[in-house]
Amino acid sequence: MREPAGEPEAETREVPFRGGGFAPRPRRWAGPLVFVLLIGLLEWGTRTGFISSLTLPRPSAVFATLVQLWQSGALAEHLLPSLQRLALGSLMGISAGIAVGVAIGLFSLVRAGLVPLVAALFPVPKIALLPLFVIWFGIDEGSKNALIALGTFTPTVVATYGGVDNVDRTLIRMAQSFDLSWWSIVRKIVLPGALPAILSGLRVSLAIAIILLVAAEMLGANRGIGAYVLEAGSLYDLERLFAGVVILSLLGIASSWLVSRAEKLLLAWRPR
Amino acid sequence: MEPFVTRRTMLAGAAAVSLIVSAAATAHAATAIDVGALRLVSHAPSFVAQERGYFAEEGLDVTFRFFEAAQPMAVAIASGDVDYGVTAISGGLVSLAEKGAIKVIGGALQEEKGIDGQMVLASDEAFAAGLDHPSKLGGHTFGMTTAGSSFHYMAAKIAQAEGLDDLELKPLQQVGAIIGALKSNQIDAWAIVPHIAKALVASGAAHEIGRIADYLPDYQVTTIFTSAENAADERETTVAFLRAFAKGAADFNAALVDRTAGEKAADEMVALIHGYVYSDKPLEEAAPSIRNGAMRSNEGAALNLTSVRDQLDWFKAEGLVKPGITIETLVDDTYVEIR
Repeated sequence: MREPAGEPEAETREVPFRGGGFAPRPRRWAGPLVFVLLIGLLEWGTRTGFISSLTLPRPSAVFATLVQLWQSGALAEHLLPSLQRLALGSLMGISAGIAVGVAIGLFSLVRAGLVPLVAALFPVPKIALLPLFVIWFGIDEGSKNALIALGTFTPTVVATYGGVDNVDRTLIRMAQSFDLSWWSIVRKIVLPGALPAILSGLRVSLAIAIILLVAAEMLGANRGIGAYVLEAGSLYDLERLFAGVVILSLLGIASSWLVSRAEKLLLAWRPR
Repeated sequence: MEPFVTRRTMLAGAAAVSLIVSAAATAHAATAIDVGALRLVSHAPSFVAQERGYFAEEGLDVTFRFFEAAQPMAVAIASGDVDYGVTAISGGLVSLAEKGAIKVIGGALQEEKGIDGQMVLASDEAFAAGLDHPSKLGGHTFGMTTAGSSFHYMAAKIAQAEGLDDLELKPLQQVGAIIGALKSNQIDAWAIVPHIAKALVASGAAHEIGRIADYLPDYQVTTIFTSAENAADERETTVAFLRAFAKGAADFNAALVDRTAGEKAADEMVALIHGYVYSDKPLEEAAPSIRNGAMRSNEGAALNLTSVRDQLDWFKAEGLVKPGITIETLVDDTYVEIR
């Protein structure tokens, strides 16, 4: 009840519930619609000459280039070496990153020793080191794998030890009270607790791996999606350039989907 | 003597335009143009024309825009940020011409027998293992910047002439990266302009195994190009630019290529170029590199159309550019003498 504030006439009215929040609701059609509108606009613009052929390629021509890539077998020829570099490089970088990240999270000495080193390595533009990598690891696959490995290593380390740090302390204290062994605590509480953060770090690492793929294929690669994009750029062949960019985007979507699958599988224990 | 008449009529036309231009120049302010350049000895004619006032005499107020590679310069001309440029014909340049953005209007650097031109180099290791002639390049790696670059063209032409089908090309994006790879024996061979080649040979990092002039005797290495708009609508300015450029080229050839102008003129020329090329090194250190880099820049900015056509045909045969592009789309042959 309100105090009557001097006003004699107290009107009662119904107030609708307003606290609905800004919860996003599923709108499945919106994403594809944006793509369709944008591509339609580009197609119209390039066909009418509103957008010159110098500025952007015609989307249908890009699609035709993709179809031709697929039919001629060139797609596999470029995709397979790239996927191999991505897989090998990121496997090395991510597994080393998780190992170092967990060690930093668990041991104070390792943390004191390695966190400054990782912080120093992180902002170094790996692309600038490419010529050096060629001298160290050779012009063939070695330098390419090493570049992707180093590029994925640092973000994985940071995500991993961040995840370890954020594991619920009360759970660890409880386990200690129940006299669980150190190894048992790490295996049953720390690692599962850090897993969500590690997996979300993986999304960033894999995106970086794809970015670095193009850089890695700058030196001495005749085959590969990155080499294909770079070649198209230097020939100013916009259709092939955009076809390559579309393939890189699809790789990004595929890697993100893989991480989502891994999250569903590995984090099934989490309460919904 | 058809060509002679053509040249004479052209000169007469040029003289007439010159009068108009100089009249216009006295009446109005100088025409401001942007000229794209790389800090290479092969761009010397522009530098000479600027320093000795040939551009100013033609009523042009030139601002140089410097680039690290030929490809961005071609794109800058297509976008209208730069008016005139000099660079090798690359696949990118042909593609931009195909889109109606740029035109080749004249010739600059050309290979010529008897003058030190581009050299074929072998890495120290490959040379020691017996790679002492381009005919033995089969199965070896050959450096290039990108597909469709002049390096790609030269390698393909050597392979064609020697009947090699297993020359492995390594794209390394930048000249610096190729030099590094050659020095560290990551690639076996390369072909490059003399001022870089001679320095590499002198340092012992590479060995000369052949000359490009033996495979491509009249190779039109670099061409002068401009936007299609300038070529079509800014005729007076374009003619004035070419005339000033040709004057610079004549001075350059006389001083450093033919050496008819005497030792003093050669020294002056080196000092002038040093203002733009290797300016971070002291003159004494830069001078030999600049002298070594002197290749002929065509008299009157003449264009060797036969060589340009051969290059275009090669780009098409390799599938590097659209098959439909014709020589007329690439070249505007109304400006200079066509050889």
